[in-house]
Amino acid sequence: MAATTLAPPPAAEDTFLDSNELVLNMGPQHPSTHGVLRVILKLDGERVLGADCVIGYLHRGVEKIAENRTYQQFAPYVDRMDYVAAVSNGLGYCMAVEKLLDVEIPPRAQAVRVILTEVNRIASHLLWLGTHALDIGAITPVFLCFREREEALKIFENYCGARLTTHAFRIGGLQYETYDRFEEDCLAFCDLMEEKVKEYHALLTGNRIWVKRTKGVGILNAEDCKNYGVTGPLLRAAGVEWDLRKAQPYSGYDKYDFDVPTAESGDTFDRYIVRMQEMGQSCRIIRQAVGAIPEGPIKGKVGKVIKPPPGEAYVSIEAPKGELGYYVVSDGSLNPYRVRVRPPSFVNLGALDKMCRGTLVADVVAIIGTIDIVLGEVDR
Amino acid sequence: MEELLANPYVGPLVLTVAIILVFPLIVGYMVLAERKVLADLQVRLGPMRVGPYGVLQPLADALKLLLKEDIIPARADKWIFWLAPVLSVFTGLTALAVLPLSDRLYVADVNIGILFILAMSSIGALGLILGGWSANSKYSLMGSLRAAAQMVSYEVPLGFATVTAIMCAGTLSMQGVIDSQFERGVWGAFDNYGLMLIPTVLFIIAGTAETNRAPFDLPEAESELVAGFHTEYSGFRWSLFFLAEYAAIVVISALCVTLFFGGWLRPFPNVELLEIPFNTVFPAGLCLLIAFGCLKGVGKQVVPGFRFLMAAIAAAFLGAAGLFVLPLTNELVIGLFWFAFKLGVMVYLFIWYRGTFPRFRYDQLMDVGWKWLIPISMAGLVLNGAVQLLARG
Amino acid sequence: MANLIKTFLLTDLLKGLWTTFKNQAPSKVVTEQYPLVRPPVAERYRGAPRLNNHPETQETLCISCNLCALACPEQLIVVTSERNKVTKRKDLTTFTYDVSRCMFCGLCEDACPVDALELTQDFEMATYTREGQIWDRQMLEEGPLPSQYTH
Repeated sequence: MAATTLAPPPAAEDTFLDSNELVLNMGPQHPSTHGVLRVILKLDGERVLGADCVIGYLHRGVEKIAENRTYQQFAPYVDRMDYVAAVSNGLGYCMAVEKLLDVEIPPRAQAVRVILTEVNRIASHLLWLGTHALDIGAITPVFLCFREREEALKIFENYCGARLTTHAFRIGGLQYETYDRFEEDCLAFCDLMEEKVKEYHALLTGNRIWVKRTKGVGILNAEDCKNYGVTGPLLRAAGVEWDLRKAQPYSGYDKYDFDVPTAESGDTFDRYIVRMQEMGQSCRIIRQAVGAIPEGPIKGKVGKVIKPPPGEAYVSIEAPKGELGYYVVSDGSLNPYRVRVRPPSFVNLGALDKMCRGTLVADVVAIIGTIDIVLGEVDR
Repeated sequence: MEELLANPYVGPLVLTVAIILVFPLIVGYMVLAERKVLADLQVRLGPMRVGPYGVLQPLADALKLLLKEDIIPARADKWIFWLAPVLSVFTGLTALAVLPLSDRLYVADVNIGILFILAMSSIGALGLILGGWSANSKYSLMGSLRAAAQMVSYEVPLGFATVTAIMCAGTLSMQGVIDSQFERGVWGAFDNYGLMLIPTVLFIIAGTAETNRAPFDLPEAESELVAGFHTEYSGFRWSLFFLAEYAAIVVISALCVTLFFGGWLRPFPNVELLEIPFNTVFPAGLCLLIAFGCLKGVGKQVVPGFRFLMAAIAAAFLGAAGLFVLPLTNELVIGLFWFAFKLGVMVYLFIWYRGTFPRFRYDQLMDVGWKWLIPISMAGLVLNGAVQLLARG
Repeated sequence: MANLIKTFLLTDLLKGLWTTFKNQAPSKVVTEQYPLVRPPVAERYRGAPRLNNHPETQETLCISCNLCALACPEQLIVVTSERNKVTKRKDLTTFTYDVSRCMFCGLCEDACPVDALELTQDFEMATYTREGQIWDRQMLEEGPLPSQYTH
């Protein structure tokens, strides 16, 4: 199954010194394939002729598990797909079931959901930034990013008792009321981020090595993005202003004033800049939302037993990595008949081959980093 | 006995054996220093568990490496696989022979000392290439290919920078270079009205590349090639490569210190007024500071053994401070102190880069080497030559 | 021209070097020396499960309703009980909780109508055997006993 999708090997006269192709197996045990991604590279010297992803090393059958769990019971499992952005996953799933049930979510719950999702977006981007920089050889930003991410995780821990796989939201609203210093913590986190981002800029943005390593690397233009179904920061870096929070606002995002950062060329540097700006925009949303959390109940009219009427619902949200969709089919029983996830990193990873061709081995690592994949989500 | 001491071979031989025995320990502590400094740069603590503040970590590391299984891949070329780390370490240690550790402490003062060092570091590259080739792994192969290309291209600017310094000093002997800096009363780096700064900076950049350190650590390139040329090495063989890498760092740093920063000379060696502050107060004060720091740390240690160790380290540094205060012993150790101090600063610089910069890409590395460093180093050579001709006649 | 000078003076690189240099201040260290210094754990932390007893009578609060076992996505809770002839209530006989399969989602805690089952702030649950991960009623009531770290 591996090498079939690669283009036929180039004629001998096209390769350097008539040399043969080198097939390099990168992963699943490799320092920078972000987990257990396996990439089969066809190389001509250091130049990449083709890249073929082999996935499934982290397959846990999450979609199948859903068919044997009740609607509430499946909620903790979705956190374990994109474990870096567990809150976003939880939001998507809960919204899909809520759409099936046709319940209204109280405004207070919506505001808290927005705050936590945005904090999670920053945490996810921080992890991406650290590991991406590490892939390109800068070993310090990862520790600085984890230092700031710690503050985001502390907010989650204080709010719902878990740091990574949070299970923060429940179908119909929230399980937990905000804790005493919730607002102050969120604002302090925004202040911290706005200050520390300067440090990242000093270490990376201006640095000539960083610019050289990322400018013009892994270009994916808007046309290709649409053809591959690529979403999220990759699409926005190619110049398409498409953000589901603006395009089809959910959970009260239309109430907040924020921009959708875009760039033009769609290379690795642009994606870096777009994600850095997105962190700033998330801070903006958090500030607005924290200032105006409405009073009221935190859970809509949902019974203890969730038994949606037969039907189907698709909900997609803007997760940190792109469009995250949940398609839930109900047959009227306690368990979902089928749950299908549209994972952004899986779809985005499809463009790896396109982005890699003609680049060097070192760029492949940079490109895998810039796609921002989480293998838990790719393999499910 | 006196006859034995008078023999010109005895002193160097003793020093050689001493270097071979002590150097692995020094490398161990350099690794600890690197880990600690990197940790500092990265808001971490670094090793803290083995001994107080991790001071015994090198011993634990050495023990671990010795006890690890030594694997030779089934399809590897066994003899070359065996030879490569030996070659690397051999050349690295041999180059140490011509380093002037102080005015009287050196194995040999060869009249072509600098050429000898450059030759040894070139042969050392062969160790990396053979090691990567013989392992029969694709990652190793790519690492060694990169090593070959990188070493060859960065030796050129390194050579030009060295030639500039030699031209300034007028000799190829390491001691001679230091003597000439003493005579002219200025460090090599600031000679020729500051124009020598160009080869100095180039030497540091090219030297970083020559020793395969970040941001030029492409032959290893952990995030791309797993471990580059030593991917398939394990246990003690791997640690030999490590030893060789650090030997190369010491040699390049020592060469840089000798050529551009006055070797074992104190700063402003011709100003009599600074004799006391720089040769007595500074080293003694530094030792006292470290001793004081250790004493402060004694109270924080929970384990009695650790307390004793901390107290012992403090006592050792107090003793060292005493050495610098007494005029008789001061004369013996002050050269070594300044050499080691400057070397330490250079090594810190190397670690500092590593903690800050991203890694170059293969083609960019070649670009920087051939399109920037070599032309600039040549221009530096011509410029310095012209200035020297005009100024000194 | 200004850019060219900047390129030769390596200002961008020096800026990065200065940033890392500043981070060396000892006050910026964020490492926690874990076994010596224990991290503060949030009040709501979902850690080791505990079966609460009544603070005064020391009788279990559990009413053997089995709701936690039904709520658990991994079905790792087994509750058995027998009918008390006198009070006509269910008396808890055994309560088994397989911590090795638990993902600490908190659904059992939410389901419990009497606050008997609770996820506590304890987080040191490592054992040397897999069997040790299956907690019985006694273990759940007493809580895990992590070995204290002595240097």
